[in-house]
Amino acid sequence: MSAVSDPWPLRVPRLIGGAALSIGEQLGGLAVLSGKILVRLFPPRIDRHELVRNLHKMGVKSLPIVVVTAVFVGAIMVIQAAPLVTRFNARGLIGWGAGFATLREVGPLLIALMFSGRVGANNTAELGTMVVTSQVDALRALAIDPIAYLVLPRVLAMVSMLFVLTILGDVVAIGGAIAAAQALLDVDPRSFMNSLLVLLDEWDMMTGLIKSVVFGMMIALTSCHFGLTVTGGAPGVGRAVNASVVAAASGIFILDYFSTYLLG
Amino acid sequence: MSALTTTGTAVLDVGRDIRDILRFGATTIRFAIRGRKDWKMVLEQMHEIGNRSVFFITVTMGFIGMILVFQSSLQALKIVPDLSLVGATYAEILIRDLAASIGAMMLATRVGAGIAAEIGSMVVTEQVDALRMCSADPIEYLVVPRFLASLLMTFCLLIWACFVAYMAGMATAHVVFGVNYYTFVNFMLVDAGDVIVGLTKCLAYGAAIPIVSAQRGLATFGGSEGVGWATTSAVVSSSLAVIVLQFIISALGYVIFPG
Repeated sequence: MSAVSDPWPLRVPRLIGGAALSIGEQLGGLAVLSGKILVRLFPPRIDRHELVRNLHKMGVKSLPIVVVTAVFVGAIMVIQAAPLVTRFNARGLIGWGAGFATLREVGPLLIALMFSGRVGANNTAELGTMVVTSQVDALRALAIDPIAYLVLPRVLAMVSMLFVLTILGDVVAIGGAIAAAQALLDVDPRSFMNSLLVLLDEWDMMTGLIKSVVFGMMIALTSCHFGLTVTGGAPGVGRAVNASVVAAASGIFILDYFSTYLLG
Repeated sequence: MSALTTTGTAVLDVGRDIRDILRFGATTIRFAIRGRKDWKMVLEQMHEIGNRSVFFITVTMGFIGMILVFQSSLQALKIVPDLSLVGATYAEILIRDLAASIGAMMLATRVGAGIAAEIGSMVVTEQVDALRMCSADPIEYLVVPRFLASLLMTFCLLIWACFVAYMAGMATAHVVFGVNYYTFVNFMLVDAGDVIVGLTKCLAYGAAIPIVSAQRGLATFGGSEGVGWATTSAVVSSSLAVIVLQFIISALGYVIFPG
């Protein structure tokens, strides 16, 4: 972009147009990548060893961070609801309020953000390093399809592991909420669970889990796309990691809005 | 026995990390108060941390505002007949917690990754060692400008985040649920305690994000792979720091300003 020589009234539209074009380019890249992945899913040709390795690395290794996040999320939801609950003297509703917010919205969202920071960023860095050190070209030279060998197992691992981790996180977050409600508001765990079970149904939990699958796909696609399109050596990997984390976070929020709207 | 070893090692590691970060934070704050300050670099970092995050923060907080009002109104309609109090409750919870905390989670991702990647690549290309050779302390020279810039810009960005989320929520309430703007704009429930808790959070997050990510960046080892690893670790640790601080400040806020 030769914006330097432009007269100033032209700079603003050029900046806006450039930003719009680059966003369009990334979105198009994501669409093309998801198309390529879909084609290779029928019939599935997945490297089993790579899949298991990624499931372990992305799922099992993220367990501590998800558990810690979930405990705090549950407790924070109760603390935030506490002034409202004491004001309206509605201790019986705390289980519903905290449970609703955690299961449907905040739990899947924050767990996905942590997952994106840990797994998504790491994945971009790993793929990006392979690209700049020509390891991906080496795979192509050996007639190994990089999408089927590298990307597909990662995408499957991220989507399934985020789903499983969100189920676990939901359980842990409810535990954190129960502990906080007892410590702060002196609410009996039984009455907490009672209001949770009476006022919420399976659909509330399902909504959160469907969202976690959507978030998982978003994280997987952005992190692989930004990793595979790295240019410019080692500093390029750093830039790609940054861009991928930002894109995944924005994507998660935007998809969250639409899935909330569609799922009701 | 091996399970015990694994757990014990993890606990010791976490303890060491926390101690390292606290010590690093104390050094940074001491230098920020007493040391020389390179105001030109602070301005550059303010541009990098602040201006370049405005678009990102606006988009994400706009969507989160719409989601929050949409979800809570749907639920509120189950137990109360009208939505006249949604605006007041929303304003309270936004100012007290959500605007600062969710905005800071976003900033932890963008700013934290940026700081760690930048400092990390300086470490692996031995630029930090070169600084030490010139007897310039990397904390004073690299971390303090980022710390000061982040402290100020996070504060401003989170107030902007609160405004954006409030406006988006107001629009949603009007368009989807037909709530009148005059009914929605209601600061009856917001008191001094809420504002103090919210602003304390803005300051705490603004201080924590650069300290945690810079510490991670300076601890980089290995080549370019190490930079990727440090960046990941910076994003995770600074997001966790935000969540833990949110818990601590919210709990203290509830004890000091109940209701």
